[in-house]
Amino acid sequence: MANQGENHIKLGVFVLTGLSVLILSFYLIGKNHNLFGSNFRIRARFSNLNGLTEGNNVQFSGIQAGTVKTINMINDTTIEVTMLIDNKIKSFIRRNAIASIGTEGLMGNKIVNILPGKVAGPPVSEGDLLAAERMVSTDEMLQTLSKTNSNIAQISEAIKATVLKINTSSLMDLANDKRIGPSVRSSLLRVEKAAGNAAQVTAGLNELIRGIKNGRGAAGVLISDTALAGNLQMAILKIRKASDNADRLTQQLNSLTQTIDQRLNQGDGSLNVLLKDSVFAQNLKQTMENLKKGTDGFNQNMEALKHNFLFRGFFKKQEREKAKQK
Amino acid sequence: MAFTTNIKTFFGETGNIAGFTGRFFSTGLKPRFEFRELLNQCYIIGYKSLPLIGLTGFIMGLVLTMQLRPSLVDYGVESQLPVMVGIAIVREIGPVITALIFAGKIASSIGAELGSMKVTEQIDAMEVSGTNPFKYLVATRVMATTLMLPVLTVMGDAISLFGAYIGVNIRSVTSFHLFFTQVFHSLEFSDALPAFVKTFFFGFAVGMIGSYKGYTSSKGTRGVGSAANSAVVLSSVVIFIIDLLAVQLTDLLGLN
Amino acid sequence: METASNPLSDISPEHKPGTAAIIIENLCKRFGDHIVLQDFGLTVQREQNVVVLGKSGSGKSVLIKCIIGLLRPDSGTIRVFGEDVTKLDHDALDKIRVKIGFLFQGNALYDSMTVRENLEFPLRRHWFDHSQKEVDALVIEALENVGLAHTVDLMPEELSGGMLKRVALARTMILKPEVILYDEPTTGLDPVTAREIDNLIVKLQRKYHTSSIIITHDMNCVRNTADRVALLLDGHCYAQGTYADFERSADKKIKQFFE
Repeated sequence: MANQGENHIKLGVFVLTGLSVLILSFYLIGKNHNLFGSNFRIRARFSNLNGLTEGNNVQFSGIQAGTVKTINMINDTTIEVTMLIDNKIKSFIRRNAIASIGTEGLMGNKIVNILPGKVAGPPVSEGDLLAAERMVSTDEMLQTLSKTNSNIAQISEAIKATVLKINTSSLMDLANDKRIGPSVRSSLLRVEKAAGNAAQVTAGLNELIRGIKNGRGAAGVLISDTALAGNLQMAILKIRKASDNADRLTQQLNSLTQTIDQRLNQGDGSLNVLLKDSVFAQNLKQTMENLKKGTDGFNQNMEALKHNFLFRGFFKKQEREKAKQK
Repeated sequence: MAFTTNIKTFFGETGNIAGFTGRFFSTGLKPRFEFRELLNQCYIIGYKSLPLIGLTGFIMGLVLTMQLRPSLVDYGVESQLPVMVGIAIVREIGPVITALIFAGKIASSIGAELGSMKVTEQIDAMEVSGTNPFKYLVATRVMATTLMLPVLTVMGDAISLFGAYIGVNIRSVTSFHLFFTQVFHSLEFSDALPAFVKTFFFGFAVGMIGSYKGYTSSKGTRGVGSAANSAVVLSSVVIFIIDLLAVQLTDLLGLN
Repeated sequence: METASNPLSDISPEHKPGTAAIIIENLCKRFGDHIVLQDFGLTVQREQNVVVLGKSGSGKSVLIKCIIGLLRPDSGTIRVFGEDVTKLDHDALDKIRVKIGFLFQGNALYDSMTVRENLEFPLRRHWFDHSQKEVDALVIEALENVGLAHTVDLMPEELSGGMLKRVALARTMILKPEVILYDEPTTGLDPVTAREIDNLIVKLQRKYHTSSIIITHDMNCVRNTADRVALLLDGHCYAQGTYADFERSADKKIKQFFE
């Protein structure tokens, strides 16, 4: 019997713990929604609620102050929102405070923001009507955006004019210059050739991979060969070097164009002056030189790849096919 | 032929359970009340289940938090982890997991206990001793499960949330206060109340089905075994059915 | 009555309702298609031990479960002290059950309770009429009757088969019933223990002046306890008489119990 009494005590503790946890959690939930505790009502009228519903939070200067109690339609353009505000905050809200509808976070619930007025006023009392700020609606945002758009249009117009000016200026003569022209052309040709080689290599690789995938050919075995892996690694290193060179080249081209730009902006942008500038000419020459070197290196790499024993067969086959087609 | 027999058995069983439930309301709730036995059963069913419910609840909260984190990090809303876990636990996972564990522990033990009492004629002996065995055995157990499961669920939820708190703190740091403020801030009465109310029905179903299976078990050790087994299976299924009904009902009432 | 077909010709059952404890007439009970009892009749006089003899599955247990109201017969009457238990509702049945004790074949002790709680259980219906002291006194008295007062705080699982049977008997006796129904009291016990139980049954019957129906197929038990013997065969009372009558009988169906 004594044992049973002890059990009853344990049971009592258990049930009371459960009940107190329940009551506490209900209290905590209720506290957030102003179901308990003392509070008072204030009102505000809006023309558009943007989805505000009863139970949404009310913040005063960013502090949780209460909840929306009721929403009443007064007429087609006026909606009255009654809010329950915690009494603790009552003394801080002035009658000239402004209510507006905002959003919790970027995509969260709608809230009513009450912001204090610019000058001190009398404190609010039960049932006061606060001034409402017209909130920024999506439409308005779009309107602002369209204004921004037209500004951007104007700016791009101006840029276009500048570009045209550059075009019509004698800059283009630079390209027609007999000394520079051929070297540029030859370097471009080299680039093209290199690109062609690169395309061939990738096509070959593609074919090879497809072969491996389909389980055809000895490539599947070869791919695990460490010597081959070393070769490939070397080839890749070389390719990387070539592209580094190309990178440097573009950087120099970039600086070149910047120099041209500067000259043009300085107003006396006649190309003759520009061309007579020996420093610039040297720069340009150097650039072309580099470009040549870079593409040469790349070409060499591609050639090396071509002669690699693994790809040799494939390229030969390709050449044969080309010959056949001719 | 076998199919029609199965259908017949199914409907027969459903009808029997309904009748058994009706008997609970017609005779089980009438005085004289077996209050001492009710307290005893509450102790066995409620208090003795707390460690199990607590352990599973804790692990559930912890695991849920750790599983949810990567997705929330992907969306850049890791800070909403307590909110998410809190709602998941209070609304659904807490009540249902607790009820399922409870069904596994209690429905089987009631089924086996009443089943073996039936087989060894202890139920008949009670009847002969002038004690209504339905009132003494079934009504007390059903009431104990109905009253104890909600208490267990509340405590399981609390422990689960504590597990979630620890889960949040494995990868980042949140103060206990902030965690609970976030959880309770996101919770509404419409989250907590239906979840709490449905646990009464879960508990009732577990007690009723466990008692029915035990009370009507057939003779022999096998009868007792199958009573315990089918009590767990059936009550688990019924818990899910009640859960489905509950979500539809709260939906209809606009509490979702 | 079955007297016409009684193979023991010297039997003429006395039929004095005033002195009879139990009168069973035309009792029928079937489970589905299986007929268990058909037109069964039996009379038990006050302070008389009647043994109902029969093979396993012949419906002996069904018979006494009908008497205590655990089973409802399909037709027929069972009068216990003049009241027809087949017609009683639950509350009236509970009242008449105070006068009837029932010793289950498997003892049916509540295995989650101590011996004391087991014995207190039948007293629960008078819970508020008795002080704890009176209840304790009754429990000890009942246990002393079966010689097991020292086991009062043990659990049933700690007792041997014979002790369990005696505790169960003590529980049956605790309300001092006027009629006791024994369902195979010696089945599953060794002959020595069975003899002890037989003696206990007779001793308690003499002490409390009870009437009893003892269901058994154990002939030793029959010899030790029976004032009268009834043979249940094919659902009806095949023969009635004293143990000596049965022993002398040349009837084939009776003789097979003595082999």
